[in-house]
Amino acid sequence: MNVRIRNAETGGTVDMELEGENTVQEIIQGASAFWNKDDGAYVIRKGKRLLRGQQSVAQSGIADSDELELIPDPEGGA
Amino acid sequence: MRSPGRAGAAQGGVPLIRPPSIIASKDLEVTDKVPPPPERLAPHKWLGRGALKKYCRQERQGLELYLSKLAEERIRNHALSKKEERLEVMGFLLGTVHRFRNVTYTIVKDVATTSLEATSVSVRFERGGLEDLFCALDTTDFNYVLVGWYHSHPGHGCFLSETDVNTQLRMFDRPWHSAMVIDPVQMDIAAFAMKDGKAVERPFAIYWDEFQNPYYGETVRNRRVRSDPDGMAAPQ
Repeated sequence: MNVRIRNAETGGTVDMELEGENTVQEIIQGASAFWNKDDGAYVIRKGKRLLRGQQSVAQSGIADSDELELIPDPEGGA
Repeated sequence: MRSPGRAGAAQGGVPLIRPPSIIASKDLEVTDKVPPPPERLAPHKWLGRGALKKYCRQERQGLELYLSKLAEERIRNHALSKKEERLEVMGFLLGTVHRFRNVTYTIVKDVATTSLEATSVSVRFERGGLEDLFCALDTTDFNYVLVGWYHSHPGHGCFLSETDVNTQLRMFDRPWHSAMVIDPVQMDIAAFAMKDGKAVERPFAIYWDEFQNPYYGETVRNRRVRSDPDGMAAPQ
């Protein structure tokens, strides 16, 4: 199946080909590597739902033509 | 283009699982657009003399960051709501990216946040609050880009700490990304961008829409300025 992933912090998108056994973590890693990002600093959502890293594509309910969004998880200090 | 992942191998009858692969990509299209007009712009009321000088200089060259009156109010109120507890607050700057006369600039139209894990010197989104953050993102009525983030330094002043610089470099690494820091105790605010690996201040303007009351209403008290030898005190 193919999904579109939007990078919320750049507005860019990638189209990704997936298998039902792929994990959410692999999706994050694939997209992060494409945008030269540290995958540990991001989460991914489908609509209002946070997708859990160890779940498979099938378990997460990801379907063909879905749009997912990569969101940074920032940390501030003083 | 093949992205990293589990290297699938058909061994001992185990079916091959291919890692996800990227088959197409598209970058953000930066559109040409005239920025908000000077008659609907003002510097923030909390700027000190030095920051106001920088603002005036940058205004002549073309500002790179415009913050809507609504976004300013939300950031300020968020920071002020935790002022007494001296807790940091944080959120995303939601906006759009444009170009005008070879200057790339961002317009921050709104902000989004959620429940936080915060102390007086650290802040991050609460794990259980991420879905509320997604709801906040979905309430925007434009195709947002996270053009930066804001957080507060209650009583510490406005600068980027090592943790902040790390966040900026890891996540907000485009030239147009900004980090806004607000100190509700000292009534100070500043925006920063990374340039050649260093944090530099980025002067910004507050803008308001055509049919809105101007930013310079009664709701934002001026920062107190002791003397004004240069005639550069924040406008009343």
